[in-house]
Amino acid sequence: MTQLVTQTVPVLDPNDTRPLLQIRDLEVGFKTQYGVVPAVRGVSLTLYAGQTLAIVGESGSGKTTTAQAVINLLAGTGQVTAGQILFEGRDLTALTPKEMENVRGSQIGYVPQDPMSNLNPVWNIGFQVEEAIKANSDLRGKDLRARTIEVLKEAGLSDAQDRLKQFPHQFSGGMRQRVLIGIGLSSRPKLLIADEPTSALDVTVQRQILDHLGTLTRDYGTSVLFITHDLGLAAERAEQLVVMYKGKIVESGPSKEILANPQHPYTQRLVAAAPSLASKRIQAKKHDEAAEIYSAGGTDTALIDRAAIREEQAPTRDLITVEGVSKLYRIRTKGLKYTELLAVNDVSFGIKKGTTSAIVGESGSGKSTVAKLILQLETLTSGRIEFDGRDVAGLTGKELLKFRRRVQPVFQDPYGSLDPQYNVGNTIAEPLLAHKIGTSRERQARVLELLDQVSLPAATQFRYPSELSGGQRQRIAIARALALKPDVLVLDEAVSALDVLVQGQILNLLTELQTELELTYLFITHDLAVVRLVADNVCVMQKGRIVEAASTDDVFDNPQQAYTQELLAAIPGGDFEFGGK
Amino acid sequence: MASFVIRRLIAAFFVLLAATFLMYMLVALSGDPLEELRQGNAPNKEQLMDSLSARLNLDVPPYLRYFLWLGGVSQCFVGQCDFGVNVQGLPVLTLLEQAMGSTLQLVTSAQIIAIIVGLIVGITTALRQYSGYDYTITFASFLFFSLPVFWVAVLLKQYIAIGFNNWLADPVIGIPVIIVISVVSGLLWMSFLGGAAKRRLITLGVATASTAVMLTYFELTNWFSTPNVGIVGVVVTAIAAALGITAISVGLANKHAVRGALVTAAVGIALYYPMIYFVFPGMGMPLFLALALGAVVGGGAIGYFFGGRDRWQSARTSAIGAVIALEGFLMYWDAYFNSSRITGRPIATIGSSTPNLGGNFWIQGIDTFTHLLLPTIAIILISFASLTRYTRASMLEVMNQDYIRTARSKGLTQRTVVVRHALRNALIPISTVIALDIGALIGGAVITETVFGWSGMGQLFLGGLHDIDPNPVMAFFVVTGLLAVVFNLVADLLYASLDPRIRVS
Amino acid sequence: MSELNSALQDPPQGGGPSDETTIEQRQTVGLSQGQIVRKRFFHHKGAVVSMVVLTFVVLLAYTSVGLHMFGISIPGWWQWHWNATPPLVNSGVPTMSLIPGPGFGFGPHPFGQDQIGKDIFALVMRGAQQSIMIMVLVGLVGTGLGVLIGALAGFYRGIGDALLMRFTDVIITIPFLVIGAVVGRAVGGFGAPVLGMFLGLFAWTGLARLVRGEFLSLREREFVDAARVSGASDKRIIFKHILPNSVGVIIVSATLLMAGAILAETALSFLNLGVQSPDTSLGVIVSQNQAAFATRPWLFWWPGVFIIVIALTVNFIGDGLRDAFDPRQKKMPSPKALAKALARRARDARASK
Repeated sequence: MTQLVTQTVPVLDPNDTRPLLQIRDLEVGFKTQYGVVPAVRGVSLTLYAGQTLAIVGESGSGKTTTAQAVINLLAGTGQVTAGQILFEGRDLTALTPKEMENVRGSQIGYVPQDPMSNLNPVWNIGFQVEEAIKANSDLRGKDLRARTIEVLKEAGLSDAQDRLKQFPHQFSGGMRQRVLIGIGLSSRPKLLIADEPTSALDVTVQRQILDHLGTLTRDYGTSVLFITHDLGLAAERAEQLVVMYKGKIVESGPSKEILANPQHPYTQRLVAAAPSLASKRIQAKKHDEAAEIYSAGGTDTALIDRAAIREEQAPTRDLITVEGVSKLYRIRTKGLKYTELLAVNDVSFGIKKGTTSAIVGESGSGKSTVAKLILQLETLTSGRIEFDGRDVAGLTGKELLKFRRRVQPVFQDPYGSLDPQYNVGNTIAEPLLAHKIGTSRERQARVLELLDQVSLPAATQFRYPSELSGGQRQRIAIARALALKPDVLVLDEAVSALDVLVQGQILNLLTELQTELELTYLFITHDLAVVRLVADNVCVMQKGRIVEAASTDDVFDNPQQAYTQELLAAIPGGDFEFGGK
Repeated sequence: MASFVIRRLIAAFFVLLAATFLMYMLVALSGDPLEELRQGNAPNKEQLMDSLSARLNLDVPPYLRYFLWLGGVSQCFVGQCDFGVNVQGLPVLTLLEQAMGSTLQLVTSAQIIAIIVGLIVGITTALRQYSGYDYTITFASFLFFSLPVFWVAVLLKQYIAIGFNNWLADPVIGIPVIIVISVVSGLLWMSFLGGAAKRRLITLGVATASTAVMLTYFELTNWFSTPNVGIVGVVVTAIAAALGITAISVGLANKHAVRGALVTAAVGIALYYPMIYFVFPGMGMPLFLALALGAVVGGGAIGYFFGGRDRWQSARTSAIGAVIALEGFLMYWDAYFNSSRITGRPIATIGSSTPNLGGNFWIQGIDTFTHLLLPTIAIILISFASLTRYTRASMLEVMNQDYIRTARSKGLTQRTVVVRHALRNALIPISTVIALDIGALIGGAVITETVFGWSGMGQLFLGGLHDIDPNPVMAFFVVTGLLAVVFNLVADLLYASLDPRIRVS
Repeated sequence: MSELNSALQDPPQGGGPSDETTIEQRQTVGLSQGQIVRKRFFHHKGAVVSMVVLTFVVLLAYTSVGLHMFGISIPGWWQWHWNATPPLVNSGVPTMSLIPGPGFGFGPHPFGQDQIGKDIFALVMRGAQQSIMIMVLVGLVGTGLGVLIGALAGFYRGIGDALLMRFTDVIITIPFLVIGAVVGRAVGGFGAPVLGMFLGLFAWTGLARLVRGEFLSLREREFVDAARVSGASDKRIIFKHILPNSVGVIIVSATLLMAGAILAETALSFLNLGVQSPDTSLGVIVSQNQAAFATRPWLFWWPGVFIIVIALTVNFIGDGLRDAFDPRQKKMPSPKALAKALARRARDARASK
């Protein structure tokens, strides 16, 4: 494996052939109650000065563990069990804790994953940047303060001087990530480890932050070890790519080469399934060619054809009509005062039977509130929601039960939406029981039928949610939603928490079920790429309003609003050519 | 902020009002206050019963009597408190004042020590999770947690007081005892300080040897009969304290701080003889406090002068000041020990002071100390356990946070990460618990007070309860209830002041 | 590479869970939550030992001097009644000797006798019976009330919640020992069961707050939303979803409540405000015999040891339950076991090459 990497890495500086970072046969294990569990198994990679190398993999692939092992910041009980990490020829695994403290910050910087939890909430921003500089330099007093402001300005906080005394909770996610980048680069380290630095942020913010990070590291000549789950992002931001799967490297080399010509079956599947990569292609080429791409990725060939057929056959009357709907939240501030938040502002759209509509927007756009309003989990402030010609606002008792039988949700979090105390069979049978449908034998039969529909073996019914993977859980959530034979499924970020391959499988399943059961879908998502794959119509929401609503093709091929264009442009990896075999 | 406090106080007022009513009814209905007299065979039985009824308004039904009581208490708002009288006709307010003073004296030092020890042990166990030390402390705190305080108190009286007093009559430490104590103390220090195998062995060796040397020195100089610190003791302790506190606070690598601490120590040592001969004999409380303040300010000045912007200078100084003050107490030990009221049995088991003892500031101080010793140990044992567990849990929780990893990634030292980032955050919930603990302090010491014959709040409460006389019980409850409510508020305010995310307005 | 390929031939159906979870999953396949908790509980050595010891103590207490309550009287296997006054043997010194040699064995009065000849073993057993019964009653009544009040407040929120919580504030302002003393003074004479029940009436406050918090957070969880949109009624949501998921918190704090209850009861009885003579409890025995400590220390030691053993084992069981319900606080294998596991893994790796 080492060979494979070194062969494909070009030497940038002919005078310095020594790599900056070289990992050799690294093994990392976590101690658990049941013994040592390996997380990284024999990883080798090489990074030269001035380069950016991305490690790509799904959750649990060991990519973050590898990065954390480099600066010896493994979470909890993790420890390096074998191998070497050579930084400028020095083995980092052999350093004493004291020596390691000197390497961190000054030699190797670190930008963590989640900006919300990585700044200490009780210290102000200025202090947290200052202590990083202080720990690695001799600057004190006024010079220190000046340098702190300089670092924050470089990181893109133009009003740094005024914000030094502010606390992390007074900063937005994007701002916090800028602060963390500033801290990571404050001592001009030779290597920066960026662990999914933007995965918690909205796409437009992500783009700004990564552009800025790119500029800074280029200017300082910093090498970057970039960790991400997003193949498109990796390809866009790094020259070198390392693909990890279950703790091992399956493929590595120059990004463009890997994307254009993936060798390993896993990489091939990953490239093919990455919707973010496909989205631009669809835009550029005709439908039939796009369909080919999907088939390569295992997505149903008939998907797009079906969409076209559905569109033709769709009845003219809307199944769900949303008219001028608003939702006002009164948030109680301290005392008797309230502030008002207009989460949804005069939103109107319609959904035809048998079609898939999507509401897209960034966090805080009000898209999930719309879903809750339709599901009758929240009450309207004003406006009107009709289902099948009837006003659903204020339904109570039996009427509400009847409505709920026909409109079922699938939630985002496959871990939170299943009761951990219930086994799968009982979970799926619960709606039947609650509505007192059938005898216990009939319910049992229906459970088996549903499990079959979502492609899970019958034995799954005796399992508990904690034993199942995210994808399996989401299948069960779908089966439960289908138990009452509803007309409409409201899918609130139903695939966003899943890894890309699994996401593809679930989308596939949903498409199959739609034709089989004539379902109508309302997709709530932040991910335009997913929309492209499944939706017939799109509403783009921003700050509680719908800014653009049209058919999917129109929105993607010919976005009218600046905001929509910005969203589309921010999809990572859009410019890349790739080939899947 | 002000509106928050006012709103909370109004809510607390009504809660307290309801609680006092409930309490009053419970006490009043718990029995018949005239029972004892009725069954007695005093000749003037009827007359006694009548006068008691009149004194306590027994002819008024309890729910109305409550309002009589409330009327008296509400005059506190105009500075004319009336808590009623007890069975003997004494005004409860006077009893309450005495009882509170006595109880506060008992619980204050115990609680402070318990907090300090609990915090330190909790933090160290969290940092060394799953070590032998951690398991030992965990077991010990479970054990302490399960101890009935009244039972422990009897054991303490038997072994610490009676046993130690007997031993002091002829204080001889045998060589086997010296060996055992030295090794045990070595093991304790080793497990407490931890580290790699080599460091642990060094700790074990040094601690064992120094304990052995110290005990042998005590034995040879007959120290326990005539305890004193002496100039040698002051020099050694002062320098050790200076270096030790510097090591813990900023680390010995900070040359400025070390120099400042040593100079402070030198000044303290130089003042030893002048203090002993000219100042100490005429010592009184005001002078004592002034000297303590002077020591803190002086130390701070020295620290500032020697640079390093080091806030810990003052702490160091007061430690040295304390060493010299200890000498004052030990100088008068002989006089105390042989006084006619003590007769060579210094550790007291009952009460809060020796009656008719006399003597100067130092002798009175020693007397208070010997009386406080046992109940303080009992209280510490009990509250130390829960504080340790709580501190440990909070530290573990915080140490797993992402921002701790980020702090490490900046290249900060382990000490900085633990103190500045982990402890600072863990203190938020811990301080809340400590505040609530303090609020429950006076009510929680009832049993300890009873066992050690300490005539404080506990006696007021139990006496009233025994006589089915609500007045003393209610006086007790007004104080504990007020304390609980006030410290609940303090806990909230502390939380808000420690956590910038919370802003009360 | 071939090894890798074979690993990949089985595509991660529905997404591969991370390796860290798989090992644990392998251990818990097909187990219900309850079974998993039981399994984890039995990993906690302290808790298991405590469980055995506590069971032994309870059996010993209830079988030795028999069951005598509510007019039922079942004799036990121990020869003395706790009120009998047989002649002093060996001037009351315990006859139990566990050192092999002459006198080895329990003898007629293993824990000794008091000055009038009462058998201390019988007395302590009866005291333990009463103390355990009060502990359990306080636990049951307190937990029942706490769950009821906390659940109502947390689930329905609004004005009812505010009122219930203010009521809780009122009770919580009064220290438990104080309210216990007042209650004990009033009903202590009616016997241990009544005392236990009345103490329980005031012991629910902490639990109510906890359960309310638990309900408040659980009712916002997605699976509760999911149940609601599948048409489940409030009753069904409370009893079938939220309550089973709060069971961990409830059981753990119920255990700690019981540990606190036995200490409170013995303290009250010690102050003569709990169980009243001629009935007895562990606290009463300590109280009656503390003056005799210098002359007959066994009168004092045995009841104390039993209090500590009961409180300690209950506390440890609570800790074990906490670990079992909250898998975040996992216990780690010893360094030795780890070294072995590492060596085994290295050997396997060599063999597979």
